Amino acid sequence: MFYRESGDFKTSYIQDQQIFPILQDRVFVIAVIAFAFLVVPFLINDYWEKSVLLPVLIWSLAAIGLNILTGYCGQVSLGTGGFMAVGAYASYKFTTAFPELNMFIIVLLSGGVTAMVGVLFGLPSLRIKGFYLAVATLASQFFLIWLFNKVPWFYNYSASGQINAPERFVAGIAVTGPNAPPWATYLFCLILVVVLALIAKNLTRGRFGRSWMAIRDMDIAAEIIGVAPLKAKLSAFSISSFYIGIAGALFFLVYLGAVEPTEAFGIDKSFLVLFMIIIGGLGSILGSFIGAAFMFLMPVLIKNILVNGLGWSTDIVAHLIFMIVGGLIMFFLIVEPHGLAQLWRVTKEKLRLWPFPH
Amino acid sequence: MTPDFLHTIEVILNGLMAGVMYSLVALGFVLIFKASGIFNYAQGVMALFAALTLVGFQTGQVPFSHLINELFGTQIHHWGPGMNNLIAILLTIVVMIVFAWLVEKLVLQHMVNQEPIILFMATIGLAFFMEGLGDLMWGADIKTLDVGIPSGGSFWWEDVTRTWVSEGYDYYGMYIDLLDVYATGIAVLLVTILTLFSQFTKTGRALRAVADDHQAALTVGISLRTIWVIVWSIAGIVALVAGIMWGSKSGVQFSLSLIALKALPVLILGGFTSIPGAIIGGLIIGVGEKLFEFWIGPLVGGATENWFAYVLALFFLMFRPQGLFGERIIERV
Amino acid sequence: MQDIVKEDDILLEVRNISLSFGGVKALEDVSFDIRKGEVRAIIGPNGAGKSSMLNVINGFYHPQEGQIWFNGQLRNRMKPHQVAKLGIARTFQNIALFKGMSTLDNLMTGRYIKMHSNLFAQMIWKGPAQREEIEHRQKVEEIIDFLKIQSIRKTPVGKLPYGMQKRVELGRALAAESKLLLLDEPMAGMNLEEKEDMCRFVLDVNEQFGTTIALIEHDMGVVMDISNRVVVLDYGKKLADGSPDEVRNNAAVIDAYLGVSHD
Repeated sequence: MFYRESGDFKTSYIQDQQIFPILQDRVFVIAVIAFAFLVVPFLINDYWEKSVLLPVLIWSLAAIGLNILTGYCGQVSLGTGGFMAVGAYASYKFTTAFPELNMFIIVLLSGGVTAMVGVLFGLPSLRIKGFYLAVATLASQFFLIWLFNKVPWFYNYSASGQINAPERFVAGIAVTGPNAPPWATYLFCLILVVVLALIAKNLTRGRFGRSWMAIRDMDIAAEIIGVAPLKAKLSAFSISSFYIGIAGALFFLVYLGAVEPTEAFGIDKSFLVLFMIIIGGLGSILGSFIGAAFMFLMPVLIKNILVNGLGWSTDIVAHLIFMIVGGLIMFFLIVEPHGLAQLWRVTKEKLRLWPFPH
Repeated sequence: MTPDFLHTIEVILNGLMAGVMYSLVALGFVLIFKASGIFNYAQGVMALFAALTLVGFQTGQVPFSHLINELFGTQIHHWGPGMNNLIAILLTIVVMIVFAWLVEKLVLQHMVNQEPIILFMATIGLAFFMEGLGDLMWGADIKTLDVGIPSGGSFWWEDVTRTWVSEGYDYYGMYIDLLDVYATGIAVLLVTILTLFSQFTKTGRALRAVADDHQAALTVGISLRTIWVIVWSIAGIVALVAGIMWGSKSGVQFSLSLIALKALPVLILGGFTSIPGAIIGGLIIGVGEKLFEFWIGPLVGGATENWFAYVLALFFLMFRPQGLFGERIIERV
Repeated sequence: MQDIVKEDDILLEVRNISLSFGGVKALEDVSFDIRKGEVRAIIGPNGAGKSSMLNVINGFYHPQEGQIWFNGQLRNRMKPHQVAKLGIARTFQNIALFKGMSTLDNLMTGRYIKMHSNLFAQMIWKGPAQREEIEHRQKVEEIIDFLKIQSIRKTPVGKLPYGMQKRVELGRALAAESKLLLLDEPMAGMNLEEKEDMCRFVLDVNEQFGTTIALIEHDMGVVMDISNRVVVLDYGKKLADGSPDEVRNNAAVIDAYLGVSHD
């Protein structure tokens, strides 16, 4: 009854093009962001930081990245884990080579390096489509992980073959390393995620986003309209990889602190992010957040209930989670290929009319 | 002949036989792809599932025993001493057919007319589901599988090849695993049976008709759903064969499902719709990765088998996107 | 209408085009021209090579032989997106809309070649990107008004009925403000009323915007009514070329359409 757009008239194209055209949505989103910036940092503790907030933020960023490529541009990639690894190793090389460099710049540079690698592995997309391409992206996954395992330069010749995040500061406060306070790491990630999500939204609603969607929906028609496939696909690959690279850098620097490539960035991570965008919603920035939160928190929740609550053994629960995840993927693809974001939209449509559905 | 030369031959032979194993998995992909246009990522997990089920029957495990014990505090594990190999295999085939029917009923039927890439992602979901299910039914511990196929090195072959070396060299002969030899034989047999089946039976003709044109097949009275169940059953049986071979070789465990990933580049090389392509693609990948590891591997730190097949497929795609045996694609608007 | 079109004012000319796929000859030594401001129809039985001809014109197929002259210049081998930048837009026989997008977004995508703001402007949005977006939105709204599709502005095109989709597709091609508009069976599968609407739109586009139009159509009534000149293809060869009346009375054309008795 209160959630409606009647009376909320748009009198200019600017108003019509807002990200959240409905007043209530705008208020709600601003409130959430304000809460995240102004309230959460005072409440946060170690558990919330490491088990909920950081991973959800970082996975959201990776999901946005893959969504740009897969959801908007229609190019399925199974190389997300490999690209995250590129971001992580680039950030490691930058932090160790330039200890004085600002952390935000380091993270963005790592994204840039990943974008270049992404373009390289995106080149086959000009010749091949669909699952042929999906299989080809596996090459990047396996090759990159192998590279980081085998070339000592990447891990600075450390004996263990691992990389460890050195302690680094933003404005005198540690954001990486074991002594970083939870609120600092959280804010560091939050700033990046909010800004990058906004940029992603801007890109996808404008000229670039439309060229990607045109390629996704009907590549031949897109080309005949004047969209150069080379430019559209490679820009999608590079921007997608930029986001995924930053997610990888944060995953390593801020969240894990120490990384062994096969363990941290294996093919399972590629699938995880793909599932996030399927369940959250292909072609939706909001859906990337919802999907990431859902796919990360759902297993945690189930584990908490079954293992801690009912005392089941962890491996049985792990198998159950596999089944639930697989089942959910099939369910969503059958019932709602646009994922939770679409369900949310439909609910909103209904809410607008409530309590008079006709 | 110098030992180096003989080593190279040995690598090639082993590569060929590894290739046969890849082809076995790739074959299941091709069957389903031809009949339904679905790229079934779950093929590898089907092999794992089939092998797990076979071992379960052989050793007389109670399905879901872990779950039952957890729920009811019981201590059941086995219902008896197990059963004879042949009966176990037949029962596993029945399970795979039931599985095919369920997949058609619960998933495929609801996904008609979806885009191929959506179907592909759905089979990734299916793979996860089956992986969880297999482990939940039979337990996640590594199991040994023995259906009586001889294994281990062939001494006869070692003795024969030892005589090939030139005077003055030390050489111990070539190592060839008997299991690989039998696997090759079985693969050849399987392909022959499949070819005969598709050429000379009514169902086979229907299968080819569906592969050619779904709609046209429907109009002449072929039931698409029956065909899909049949195809998935056959793919299930192929998966069982692959599962037996790989399981006998390296134990039945989670990593078995990863052979699916190895079969993907095989398909890219051979084309998704060609059975000979799957076999030759498998052989090329098998030999290629073994030779690469043998020659280049030591220079770059080894373990190149992890990625060689994919990178080869990638380069191949750049130049011949339709695969070795696929037809040239003419795009129409 | 006829007298506006000057004889020597040629927009596009194809000379001796031959195109084959493997052994199949789709087009054989076809030549014709399209004058500025005219409505040019390409007709012929199924499989005559009409769509192939359009595909050649907008660079989707590359003929083995022959030349294409556009605006008085010999055109090199070009990719479709380069051809689009020259000012050639088209619609498709089987609707090729971007199904995941709304009508508005489809039309906005149609203006892709007219928009130039760079990646960084797009990222920031406020400023140049937004200004450009609004400027083009106004153009697109004009087309929406012209085609009377205001009410489906924000509907995903996949949900629209067939006739509406055809109209949106025309809108998308119009959005490019091209010099030459290729229409591949714009009225196929429509009922009489929809056909009349579509004819009106085609003629209005031609008259109001001065766009040159080449269309493929099977409905002879439509062809005779709205086109200035007609070229007839059969089995990949040119059979006749001229005004609707000339073509209607051409013996070879009558044979091709009605069949000849050879006894």
